Amino acid sequence: MDPLEAIKVTFFQECEEQLSELESGLLAMEQGETDSETVNAVFRAVHSIKGGAGAFSLEPLVRFAHVFETTLDDVRAGKLAPDNNVVKVMLRAADVLADHVRAARDGGVVEEARSQELAAALEALNGAAAPASIVSEDFDDMPGLDFTPLTVSDDDGFGDDFGFTPLAAGIIDLEPEGPALRRWTVQLRPKNALYAKANETGLLLRELKRLGDIEVSIDGSELPGLAELEPEHAYLSWTIVLTTDRSQSDIQEVFEFVDGDCDLTITADQLTSSLPMMGEASIDEPFDVMALIQQARADVQAAPAAAIMAEILAAPAPAPVFAASAPSVPAPAAATATAAAGVAPDAAHGAAAQQATIRVDLDRVDRLIDLVGELVINQAMLAQRVTESGVPRSSNIAMGLDDLEHLTREIQDSVMAIRAQPVKSVFQRMPRLVREVAAMTGKQVRLVTEGEGTEVDKTVIERLTDPITHMIRNAIDHGLERPEVRVAAGKGPEGTVRLSAAHRSGRIVIEVSDDGKGIDRPRVRQIAIDKGLIEVDSNLSDEDVDNLIFMPGFSTASSVSDISGRGVGMDVVKRSIQGLGGRIAITSRPGQGSTFTLSLPLTLAVLDGMVVSVCDHTLVAPLTAIIESLQPKAQDVRAIGPDAYVIAIRDTYTPLIDVGAMLGYRTTPLDPTKGVALLVEGEGGARAALMVDAIQGQRQVVIKSLEANYRQVEGIAAATILGDGRVALILDVDNVVAARRREKARSDAKLAAAG
Amino acid sequence: MPAASGISVLIVDDQMTMRALVRNGLQQLGFTEFRDAVDGEDALRQLISRPSQLVISDFNMPKLDGLALLRAIRGHPPIAKTAFIMLTGRADRELVQRAVQFGVNNYLVKPFTVTILKEKIEAVFGPLT
Repeated sequence: MDPLEAIKVTFFQECEEQLSELESGLLAMEQGETDSETVNAVFRAVHSIKGGAGAFSLEPLVRFAHVFETTLDDVRAGKLAPDNNVVKVMLRAADVLADHVRAARDGGVVEEARSQELAAALEALNGAAAPASIVSEDFDDMPGLDFTPLTVSDDDGFGDDFGFTPLAAGIIDLEPEGPALRRWTVQLRPKNALYAKANETGLLLRELKRLGDIEVSIDGSELPGLAELEPEHAYLSWTIVLTTDRSQSDIQEVFEFVDGDCDLTITADQLTSSLPMMGEASIDEPFDVMALIQQARADVQAAPAAAIMAEILAAPAPAPVFAASAPSVPAPAAATATAAAGVAPDAAHGAAAQQATIRVDLDRVDRLIDLVGELVINQAMLAQRVTESGVPRSSNIAMGLDDLEHLTREIQDSVMAIRAQPVKSVFQRMPRLVREVAAMTGKQVRLVTEGEGTEVDKTVIERLTDPITHMIRNAIDHGLERPEVRVAAGKGPEGTVRLSAAHRSGRIVIEVSDDGKGIDRPRVRQIAIDKGLIEVDSNLSDEDVDNLIFMPGFSTASSVSDISGRGVGMDVVKRSIQGLGGRIAITSRPGQGSTFTLSLPLTLAVLDGMVVSVCDHTLVAPLTAIIESLQPKAQDVRAIGPDAYVIAIRDTYTPLIDVGAMLGYRTTPLDPTKGVALLVEGEGGARAALMVDAIQGQRQVVIKSLEANYRQVEGIAAATILGDGRVALILDVDNVVAARRREKARSDAKLAAAG
Repeated sequence: MPAASGISVLIVDDQMTMRALVRNGLQQLGFTEFRDAVDGEDALRQLISRPSQLVISDFNMPKLDGLALLRAIRGHPPIAKTAFIMLTGRADRELVQRAVQFGVNNYLVKPFTVTILKEKIEAVFGPLT
């Protein structure tokens, strides 16, 4: 890919981050947090988007971002108070900016009228006069549009205009690479034994030379006269000055084989002058960076802008250049403003915004998760084989296996945590939705979010957006009343929609609640009767009535509004939640509001399953689908056809499905009284009792895609590998129940229990 | 006449896109040694542990902005002579003047072309080979 194209991709990714920072910053401002760091972060987000967009000549985006930036600059400079109205306009502008970014990315266009309207609203905020001139000045800076730098563009122009500091010594002298060089003094005085063991000083020096530059001086002062000289004695000593980036232990290593056979001292000198101006400072000395930073900030703040202006103006001839190159110079007041707003951000704020992260290709994480799944299976197999071989529980092998199991679990949890993401990415899309739906319905809505940091597997997050979007639309459209109605009911005109996430017993629980009118039960009941979903004389509890809204085909809106409508109802929400192995529940109090509670597994990679036997095969049924298990009694089972049975469970007849027959494991049906029935609930709340031979137990299984490894099989959702190494199929409960319903459409009707 | 490949550059910007654009420009000019820093504080820490010959830094960044970074560099003798080019979002006179006060060597207005980048660097170091 063209490097610029690759950077463009990065730019759009980064834009998304900046848009979300922009929005959260504006929301914080809406809550009254108008400190300089929040305002500056908001400004910076728009500024960065504009900067990047300029580099890629994304004109409409630059143009809009520029107007936005100008208004934000006024807020930053204290010229415009960020009151509620201002922030509201900016929030809407942020939405348009987001549209511009996406239009630039995906090649669309933003509705001109909307963009114009917001641009005009922004301009109105900052007093229309100023921006025009800045716009023209600024747009002159775009590439290919006659970019004019502030200074005149003579070859040597900059120096005269601004008095840029010429580099006194040209390029500063750096050591090319690696850690700093140090100088070491090595003093070596061999003993007789060194030579007796056939070592040689020359070789040691050669070794030392490999570490860096050496200067060697020899001391022969102990050398006796020739007559007294013992040829096998050692008389000489050496002083070697070694300049190297290696450590003391590396130097020591050279003398490894002569250890004890010589007197050796190795001392470090002051830091060498690899950096001419390094002076006394040593890199190894702990250096107080924060002190330097504090001082720099103080200096920057202390330098009074007016004094600087004066100095600049006093400098030879710069003033005319400014006047000529940029006529729209505001008074020095602007300089003061820039000075006040531009410096000394709160370090803690910045730290929170930028966590140490790395970007990893998702494929690598998925591969890792896959491998850990294999590891879990392997560990389970090993444990089972050891148990089968009769090794006592207290043996070392068994105890080692326990440790292994413990570690495997931890690895699995840790790996899952890599793919876990905070639900923030979904939650942060909701404020915009709320603004739009509120505007369309003429309602006043405040969105409160809690638990944005709650983490859940990425695969789950991706599939949460639609259900949550739908529930929030519903809460505003159906739940909340119009302001006048609310006031008449003694409530504040502004309704509250609360979106929260929390971890609860190994699942993530997401709640969407409103303080609206609650479910209109008589109306829901009437609609259900009209649509033939329930009998006229059905005896339903309040809870039953509330749950009617999850039935397929149910919609309380008298007309399909363009908000909640789109032809989907809460049944679709429920189905998609169930598709994730989750559950949804509703509680409602008339006049006080409703709460939808979603409960989802934290991951789609493992599943809590009920392991059952069917004709010597082992199958797994997802635990979330199972309501209860029971042993059918002969008198409860009734035949309603040649091989169709129903079972009476507490006054209701439920279709009985022989899993073995359905999957073709057997031809003669199982005697219901000899097996176990699992009462399951499929999509749309349809229930069925699945007949299996026996229950083996509950366990967590690693999900293996059957489609990826084999092909799709009717009635089977996926496969897993059990502790004994056998493959077990995971039942697709929705599919099994639905298949049965398709086959026996008539027999699915609820029958009134006899007696 | 300095060779571009002999000049080590520290690119300081909180925006990844901008760092990539500067790096891309420098590569086209024959530079081979660059490091990135995400804000002024990061830049300062990196410079203190290993100096660079040229710093190209954004102005508006979290934690420590470009101006304070410049001040800190000039105030710390071991790295005080590092060449410093300030990146600014627009031709903001007051900002450039303040930077001049603190000893900036030149400035660069975003968005910039490779030609302008070269001009500005050459204005500091002399013609590149």
